[in-house]
Amino acid sequence: MHFMRNKIASALVCLFIFVTPCYAEEIDAQKLLEQVDDNLWANTKFITGRLIIDNGRKVRTLVQDSWMEGVDRSYSHYKAPSREKGTKMLKIAGKLWMYTPRTDRKILIAGHLLRQSMMGSDLSYEDMMEDHKLSHSYSATFESFEEFAGIGCAILHLVARDKETTYQTRKVWVSPKNQTVLKEERFAKSGKLLKRIVFKDYEKIGSRLFPRTMVFRDMLKENTKTTYKFDVIEFDVEIPQKYFSQGILKR
Amino acid sequence: MNWDIANKNFYRQGLRAFLNVLVTALSIIALIFMLSLLNGFQAQATRNLVTTDVGGGHYRVPGFDILTPTEWEDFTMTVPQVLGNLPATDKAEVLVQQGQLYPNRRLFPVQLRGIEMGQSLLALPLAGLKSYDVKPGDMIPAVVGVKMAHKAHLKKGDTVVLKWRDKGGAVDARDILIVDVGDIINPRVDDGVIWLRLDHLRSMTDREREVSWVAVREFLGTVPGFEFHGIDLLMSDLLALLRQDRINSKILWGILMVLVCTSVFNTQILNIFKRQKEIGTLMALGMEPGRLVKIFTLEGVLAALWALVLAGVLGVPFFIWFQGVGFDVSHLSEASFPIRETIYPDYQPREILISVSIVLVLMVAAAWVPVKKIIRLDPTLALRGRAIT
Repeated sequence: MHFMRNKIASALVCLFIFVTPCYAEEIDAQKLLEQVDDNLWANTKFITGRLIIDNGRKVRTLVQDSWMEGVDRSYSHYKAPSREKGTKMLKIAGKLWMYTPRTDRKILIAGHLLRQSMMGSDLSYEDMMEDHKLSHSYSATFESFEEFAGIGCAILHLVARDKETTYQTRKVWVSPKNQTVLKEERFAKSGKLLKRIVFKDYEKIGSRLFPRTMVFRDMLKENTKTTYKFDVIEFDVEIPQKYFSQGILKR
Repeated sequence: MNWDIANKNFYRQGLRAFLNVLVTALSIIALIFMLSLLNGFQAQATRNLVTTDVGGGHYRVPGFDILTPTEWEDFTMTVPQVLGNLPATDKAEVLVQQGQLYPNRRLFPVQLRGIEMGQSLLALPLAGLKSYDVKPGDMIPAVVGVKMAHKAHLKKGDTVVLKWRDKGGAVDARDILIVDVGDIINPRVDDGVIWLRLDHLRSMTDREREVSWVAVREFLGTVPGFEFHGIDLLMSDLLALLRQDRINSKILWGILMVLVCTSVFNTQILNIFKRQKEIGTLMALGMEPGRLVKIFTLEGVLAALWALVLAGVLGVPFFIWFQGVGFDVSHLSEASFPIRETIYPDYQPREILISVSIVLVLMVAAAWVPVKKIIRLDPTLALRGRAIT
């Protein structure tokens, strides 16, 4: 009997020592990240979305149409509320132009201005513009498994390849089954948590699974969150070239 | 002879003469007070700026502008040897960067100002930072001024999150410990400023040996790669403001002088009107009109001289008393004036002499203009009191 118990205990120890790492090794973090990128990425995208900004005292909802092409070009047109109606943003490479109908002027938001909060949200212009492939900018390593929102996720630890990347480390909760990101945390160089993004309401759109809702939280602020809801998403759409020219930035 | 007649006539005017003298004396006192107060303000503001920020001038990275925070990160350079080798008494290396503080988890944009701990050129209450290591630990020590502490609801011993960017643009954040709330007499380096050790700020932002400027005791000639900003340039906004203030005070003083001159002018007009029979008699007896003008003008001069005496009698005790109590301008620090305490007038003898001389000349002129018409008076009409109607 004693012998049997020892055998079971040894088997369990072996299971923990060998089997778990074997399972972990099955996760190729970098490959999984590439699969995540492939799922989310398309040459062109059209989105009609709502940006719900909750600063703890007041909730504002911005409605926008966005057209995106590759990593470099995007154009957004704000349709509501009336205060922001007609505001346009054009991103070409590292530059962002903003047009406001009130002033009937376009301004270049470049350099340090990109780090300011966008329209009082938890996102900076830089965050909003960020549209690079994570697998290109970061090296991923598998950290552990964790259940998030009832889904088994692999937690990947991402370290920036480049010293100039805004967030030097990130953590992403990825479902290996669907290759979808469910949660992301962005950290300062020191390791302090700065932003948390939760991806919700995944839906199959064409051949891709795409989150209908993204909730951004600035973890250094209290009681604030910005929810980005995508009402219409279309991939690989044809975008007129005039949308990516400065000529569009007028009334 | 002229003097005696003028003297007698002046005293005979009684209350009218006294009021003239009093108004002029008060104007002189107001003028000296106004100028001296502005001098005192300027001297104190200059002293505060020089001892807390400016020193004898800055060698700055070309293009650096303290009023453009979004560009501070673009304008830093390695300290040149000629400035780096200066003794600690003659220079203070300063690095300025943008940061975001989160007191009570609310965003508060701040200026991160790192300064050498060994420097003794500038007088700042940063002793609390000296005992820390060259490399920042998990908690970064910082000092804030009273005004900043009040605005951000900070007190000594508080820890608060600070976020900033390093040289590459990567974002970093750590807790900072408020080791002291310093009494900084210059609100410009208090309001919105977090004071750090220079070595800590350099390490935090990956800017080894870099500065935004080096404050020096005196101009050391051209330093390649840097441009010198003298005290006048660094204080140009304040000096422009004071220049405007002086113009305003001159307008005020001008109005005051117009009133004084009008009063003297009126008195003289009234004098010759009331005393035209006396003037006619003296002319009939053979006194030359020119001499009469001299006598009447001397009366004006006498009024000016007595005004000077009275200004001394009333003004000197007032100035001595005011020099003791000063003028509380604590409200000005709210408007970012580099003055937070009481200001005291700064009396400049040369300036007082010039101002008083101008008052005297104006008084004499105001006394002479109305009486010069005596030259053209017809003695027969004057005797009958009908020369001036």
